Amino acid sequence: MTEHSPKPDIELESKDAVRACDLYFSYARQDMPPVQALAGLSLSIQRGEHVVFVGRNGSGKSTLAKLINVLEAPDEGTLEVLGLNALSEDNFWSIRSRCGMVFQNPDNQIVGTSVEEDVAFGPENLGVPTPEIRRRVDDALKYVGLSEYADRLPSSLSGGQKQKLAIAGVLAMMPEVLILDESTAMLDPISRNEFLLLVERLRSEKGITVVHITHDMSEAARGKRVFVLEKGRLVMEGPPSELFLEESRMKELGLDVPVYVGVVMSLCRRLGKKPRQEYLQSVDTAIQAVRSILRDCDAKTVSDAIGTSRESVSVESTETVLQVRNLSHAYEERGEKVLCDISFSVKKGEIFSVIGHSGSGKTTLISHLNGLIRPQTGDVELFESVNSMVWNTRKNSDVKEIRKRVGLLFQYPEYQLFEETVRKDILFGPLKMGVKPEAAEDNMKEAIGLVGLDETYLERSPFELSGGQKRRVAFAGIIAMNPDILVLDEPAAGLDPVGRRDVFRYIGELRKLGKTIILVSHNMDEAARISDRMLVLSHGKAICEGTPEQLFSGRREVADFGLELPELVSFEKLLLPDYPDLNLSVYEVEEAVDEILRAAVRAGKSNDKTSHEPDPVDGEARND
Amino acid sequence: MIKDISIGRYYRGDSVLHRLDPRVKVLLFVIYMVAVFMLKTPIGMLFSFAIVTVLAILSGIPLREIIKSVRPIIFLMLFIFLINLLTIREGEVICKFWIIEITDGGVMRAVIMTLRLFLLIVSTSILLTLTTTPLKMADALESLFGPLKVIRVPVHEMAMMMSIALRFIPTLVEETDKIMKAQASRGAEYDTGNVFVRARGYVSILVPLFVSSFKRAEDLAVAMDARCYRGGEGRTKLHPLKMRSADYVWFIVLLAMAFIPMAAEWIFTPK
Repeated sequence: MTEHSPKPDIELESKDAVRACDLYFSYARQDMPPVQALAGLSLSIQRGEHVVFVGRNGSGKSTLAKLINVLEAPDEGTLEVLGLNALSEDNFWSIRSRCGMVFQNPDNQIVGTSVEEDVAFGPENLGVPTPEIRRRVDDALKYVGLSEYADRLPSSLSGGQKQKLAIAGVLAMMPEVLILDESTAMLDPISRNEFLLLVERLRSEKGITVVHITHDMSEAARGKRVFVLEKGRLVMEGPPSELFLEESRMKELGLDVPVYVGVVMSLCRRLGKKPRQEYLQSVDTAIQAVRSILRDCDAKTVSDAIGTSRESVSVESTETVLQVRNLSHAYEERGEKVLCDISFSVKKGEIFSVIGHSGSGKTTLISHLNGLIRPQTGDVELFESVNSMVWNTRKNSDVKEIRKRVGLLFQYPEYQLFEETVRKDILFGPLKMGVKPEAAEDNMKEAIGLVGLDETYLERSPFELSGGQKRRVAFAGIIAMNPDILVLDEPAAGLDPVGRRDVFRYIGELRKLGKTIILVSHNMDEAARISDRMLVLSHGKAICEGTPEQLFSGRREVADFGLELPELVSFEKLLLPDYPDLNLSVYEVEEAVDEILRAAVRAGKSNDKTSHEPDPVDGEARND
Repeated sequence: MIKDISIGRYYRGDSVLHRLDPRVKVLLFVIYMVAVFMLKTPIGMLFSFAIVTVLAILSGIPLREIIKSVRPIIFLMLFIFLINLLTIREGEVICKFWIIEITDGGVMRAVIMTLRLFLLIVSTSILLTLTTTPLKMADALESLFGPLKVIRVPVHEMAMMMSIALRFIPTLVEETDKIMKAQASRGAEYDTGNVFVRARGYVSILVPLFVSSFKRAEDLAVAMDARCYRGGEGRTKLHPLKMRSADYVWFIVLLAMAFIPMAAEWIFTPK
């Protein structure tokens, strides 16, 4: 690829990396009607372009990716990949060897028993001579920055490293098209960013066409063109900023827009301005847009536009329900400490978030909360005020009661389903916990309603449900145990925007029922929006603890702790030079717009003051 | 709960035996096994013991690790020793009480049989399991059984399955741990109650484990397809097995060593 000069090639071959016309595809299912995944899709992708596909789950994005890599063949329509007819059997291997694909689950695409063996797998299949494989493997590992791990076991890598390994495996095949099928969905923000930078580098340095499938709109904003799919059809297409202009349409399609787009659009709507595409190019253009829009408006318009954003309901409880004291944990004797002297307490009825990147010890910490792991040093205690009871996870006799009172739901809980029917699966927990059958039945019905499923699902097998529905059933299985405290580890991970919103909606409802919620997350925006208090973990240490306001608005650099601010807060921070008294402690777009407008009004007033300072009388009169 | 299991019992090192072509090691392993079984006299055993000691020194593996590999069969060794001791009635009776009679021939046979097992295990460990990674072993088997492809034995596919299995052991161990924790959070108990309750408990682990393994297998198949896997035909390798001259030399040396105890037995046995 890099050896030969690309010019003559481009003239000889098609300019398009992918050209699809009227594609139809449906999945056959046993004993059920087939599912139509693509219904007349036509599009073309240029060579060297970075395109992004977005759409709800089941909109046909992944199917298209598989068709491009000829892992599936379309039922109808024509498809050309790199100028080759993808329907002709002769071209299968040629296309596959020139299109690389990185999938969602890092673990399920690693074939080799060591890192370098895995990178070699593709070239080995292509019959590349050994010395050349060696060279390609070394180059690819160097490119993605994994050289020092060459002879490690793949299982010793982190999620982000595994995805980089997958890229290296593709790179060693010298592809012309790189397809990312939700490859970032399981990564934390830092590894996600590193991964995307690597991809961008591949595109700009090696001219590789990038086809990126994602749910994340700030990722989509990095693309040159975005395709929105809905039920197997192309419904929107264009540069990201053009699509963002149609914010309401995007929302109808179950999609989000990046935070900066939300702010600008809301501001325009309220001030009666027409939003322009150039506002929405990037965070920087958005900031400039906010400035110029506010400059153009008079004080009256601005102050009239301030909405009545509701005060967030904060919990005034002082009753401690869970206390962790000086907790430390190491998996091996004398080994590195996964948790180091952690102390915190959780109040009744609050939403308490534990924030940190993968490897920060979050999972180990929450495994202590219901006694799955017993403390090596320190204590975890549970309190109940009515009968002034205390349970300690160190005591064997207390553990059963603790597990009943602290419901714990791990990440991707779909895998914990095992019964023949949804009913039995949800009842498993309550019955094991010794809840009476009738009461358990009631709990189950309540739980299933809360997660937004109805009773028709009860007799179905959990294994025939969609991913999102399985998640709800797993959730219901914990809720039906009727715990006082719910510990939720990344409950929205891997869901599309609508799925995410649903999850946070029923977390809100649980809170209204008086449940205490401990939320584990690496998504700062979501955590800040919903939490009463947050605990930041890094490398097993508790770095800081407090309300979102204390964490983000105190002008303290949370970045010092290796964590980024919520996107909204970092956007607002960029406005601080203009409005130094801008209130940063809001985490909803509409509230943030209110604050920006308020700050603009204040700034307008003080400007008036300064300009009229030589004439204090006038100023006094105005104040009267 | 369960973490950090090592695959096989490979002991990382860079000795002559570590570097030796795994096919040579597999062949030698077979020869040593036969050789040890052919020995009948204490003299032969003594020489064999010496040879195994030399192998151990060549491998550079600490004595502690070698002893560890014998530990699991100590009871078997003891059992074989006692059975031989108590049942074989040859030569003179040394002592006798009740119906038990111990003869000098019996003692001899018991010692030889036990030593034989001991030497067998130790030489296997040194030659194969401790000095060869499971992946190399799979490669060696693929290469040695290669000729069977002619009669349509899927040798490559079997080796590929073996190496994928090795790759997924740590992943599945982690997964099992995760599922156990999740079900324990829902009140499942695996260590209390009667047999039925426990068996029922394990269902809640096994079903999810199977379901996710099938999902993984499907994903992996697609991923392998995407990376152009199409069987062993025309495939090259990053680490192809290649006999170097050193491998030939060591093969001859170690082969010769295998025959020393037999030769010694032949020389020192009165005819």
